[in-house]
Amino acid sequence: MKEPTVLPTYQAKDFKSELKPIWCPGCGDFGVLQAIYRALAAVGRAPHEIAFVSGIGCSSRIPGYTTAYGFNSVHGRALPIAQGIKLANPDLLVLVAGGDGDGFSIGGGHVPHAIRRNIDLTYIVMDNQIYGLTKGQLSPTSPKGLHTVTSDLGSLEEPVNPLLYTLAYGAGFVAQGTPADMAGLADIIEEAIRYPGFSLVNVQSPCVTFGEDDNQVKAHRAAMKPLSSIGHDPTNRIAAMDLAQQYGKALHTGVFFKNPSPPPTYDALVRERQRSLAEKAVPRERLLDMFVQK
Amino acid sequence: MDDLVIGMAGSGGDGIVSAGESLIAAAAYEGYHAMMTKSFGSQVRGGESSCRVRLSTRRVHNPGSTLDVAVALNWEDFLRFGAELPVSGSTVVIYESRTGVAPDKIPLVGVAPKEVFAVPISDIAKQAAGTEKAKNTVVLGLIAGWFGIAREAILRGLRKKFIKKGEELVASNERAFTMGEQWAREHPLQTPRMMDKAASHAGKKMLIDGNDMCAAAAIFSGCQFFGGYPITPSTEIMQFFTREVWKYGGAVLQAEDEIAGVGAALGASIAGKKAMTATSGPGLSLKTEIMGLASIAELPLVIVDVQRGGPSTGLPTKPEQADLFAAAFSAHGDVLRPVLAPTSVADTFDITVEAFNLAEKYQTPVLILSDQEVAQRKETVDPIDTARFTVIDRKLPTEAELKDYHRFKLTEDHVSPISHPGMKGGNYQGAGIEHNESGNPTASGKMHATMNDKRFKKLKPLQRRRDLHRIEGNPSAPLALVAWGSVAGVAKEAFDRAVAEGLDVKLFVPLLVWPIAEEIYRDFFASVKGGIVAELSHQGQLYRMLRMYVDVPAGVTSFCRSGANPIQPLEVVAKLREASMALQTPPQIPSEE
Repeated sequence: MKEPTVLPTYQAKDFKSELKPIWCPGCGDFGVLQAIYRALAAVGRAPHEIAFVSGIGCSSRIPGYTTAYGFNSVHGRALPIAQGIKLANPDLLVLVAGGDGDGFSIGGGHVPHAIRRNIDLTYIVMDNQIYGLTKGQLSPTSPKGLHTVTSDLGSLEEPVNPLLYTLAYGAGFVAQGTPADMAGLADIIEEAIRYPGFSLVNVQSPCVTFGEDDNQVKAHRAAMKPLSSIGHDPTNRIAAMDLAQQYGKALHTGVFFKNPSPPPTYDALVRERQRSLAEKAVPRERLLDMFVQK
Repeated sequence: MDDLVIGMAGSGGDGIVSAGESLIAAAAYEGYHAMMTKSFGSQVRGGESSCRVRLSTRRVHNPGSTLDVAVALNWEDFLRFGAELPVSGSTVVIYESRTGVAPDKIPLVGVAPKEVFAVPISDIAKQAAGTEKAKNTVVLGLIAGWFGIAREAILRGLRKKFIKKGEELVASNERAFTMGEQWAREHPLQTPRMMDKAASHAGKKMLIDGNDMCAAAAIFSGCQFFGGYPITPSTEIMQFFTREVWKYGGAVLQAEDEIAGVGAALGASIAGKKAMTATSGPGLSLKTEIMGLASIAELPLVIVDVQRGGPSTGLPTKPEQADLFAAAFSAHGDVLRPVLAPTSVADTFDITVEAFNLAEKYQTPVLILSDQEVAQRKETVDPIDTARFTVIDRKLPTEAELKDYHRFKLTEDHVSPISHPGMKGGNYQGAGIEHNESGNPTASGKMHATMNDKRFKKLKPLQRRRDLHRIEGNPSAPLALVAWGSVAGVAKEAFDRAVAEGLDVKLFVPLLVWPIAEEIYRDFFASVKGGIVAELSHQGQLYRMLRMYVDVPAGVTSFCRSGANPIQPLEVVAKLREASMALQTPPQIPSEE
């Protein structure tokens, strides 16, 4: 089904702020930022109608490089804050971004709940398997055996598998991209934004300073396997979970799963409840009447 | 008799709290001033439970001290409440005769009440209603019979309560009540104590607890979002929101944890809505980081901490006033976060409206520091004239300001107009990171100092808010009584008694407990030579804070103790007497050995 063509009102540059990114030259996040500009231009919402929330980490600086309303919050808490924004004003387009540490370590407890609530927002994780801002410590997605400044002798832990976890939590939209394919990533983010419900885009966004040599943009270009090229059916959650097990071994890009019949979102249900109960409201100043012993 | 304090205890299934509820509802209907506190063991079901109901023809400020009437359905449970249900020689003691205890052998150490009744409560219930479940109704009958309280209103209440379950249940409860009443009549008190009729008109008073009052006041103030996590003793605030806020276009999020609860509330505030969270001690610790974020991002947010015994899990169902330091100081970095403390169910309304007003006006998190007693006690409250309240909304940027908008613009009153997503031209970057006037990140020490200055200076006017400090008594009195939160109600009664005794004392109750309004205290203490700061914490936290900021006269000492041991008005009066004596005694020159 093809959507009617609407002339784009916005261009990528309309979403670019005057702030200069603090990222290291060659950081994967530059490509993610470009992809977000493009996706937002394609979606066509005005910058002031977008709330972009992040946590803490290199990647969490990203809202500031856009012209949207940005909020660079505290470590791990971007999702709860974003959900509050969306519930308070469901008309907004709400984006959430952060790193793998922000999303799957310190903030990991919020992910299943954001997913089960299914509040309509898009969560972009810049997953680089390392703590970059604090200079090279083990992250929740670091592969087992990785040598870092906090795992001198090699990590003893299995990594988190963000794709498998979020699919298992019941997310309606799970995708993966890499800045090595910026145009493809922009398409994925656009599709995620358009998906009515919680959507996750895990971006393999290399850390140029502390990342492994075989985990850089150039290597991604050679290694990436678009899911479309292997005939994956994105409406099949089980097949998606099967493929997701390859996380850390193969670099699949594209949409792993997209619920073909999205259930109503939490924010839509809230609206419905507000509408149906509005007529039952007594004037605020008479709210206490219910306690009078008549 | 114009004042009666009844304490009752039993096992969870005895329905003792339910009897208390019926009694206070009837008293409220009749126009009495009344107050009820409940206390439970830590079990969810089946543990010991108790309640204390105070009825008066005058306005009361606390749940009362020694019991006039003690009801024990079994002694083991009654005794577990210790100082919460104090019995004296003049207490009328009523207990279940099935306990097998002889009236002269009741297990109360050091007191010998003159009037003790072993009543076959269970047997009467069985006889009247065919089930021992009606025990609590028999108790109501006994109380109505001996003290002449609200007979018709109790019967009316019982009908209302049981009619849903059928006419038969109503009738059997009426029989249980009447037989209890009859028993009382057949066994009269040696000294009759009939309660005076209530002066005010029936059917006007509210019966409400502090948590419901807080939530209702929040919605009155325009609060449209609540994010929180269940925690005793604050949960009823969230529960009220889940019933009501949708009707006003708002929403509730029962979050996955305390942090997500306050995070979502902060998000709603970013989006331009008035928002709130509520918690108790352990939750306050968890929310601290996001409260700091609200401070630096200059976002309005109301946080309620219903204090319970701490630290950690502590005594989750008992009152204590030991979170004051946490409320004022728990933050990293330089943070000034106003803290307001309600002293009663009634003024919880005023305090909550004020909290939202301060939050919106100064774009700051504001903490409401309630406590288990104020939050969970039920009180009769006269209708509130809501017309006397002004509801303040945050200052939005004007069209002109939106043309060249700087979110943290330095202004004369240090408050910058605040935009929110959806507002064209108001786009800005909010952050926990230090920022310049536009909101862009900075690592400049100079800018950090400027912004800290702004965030502190905007709250300076609070220091002059005399209306947030209640002062009573002779302005030049040498004796001071200072109290806050639920203890303020105890202090008020103690103050009235002390004045009646002829003590030259004045009373100071801060509703704004942080920041310390230095000048207002200084003026108050100018004439003071001695007195006490009364509070329910081991350290005496307000007293310690006053010592940090004000020259507290040396004769003013701390009268404090750990929570769950209610401070009684008479103890406060005794302390004031001591302080007064000390002023009259010339200082002793220590003799050498």
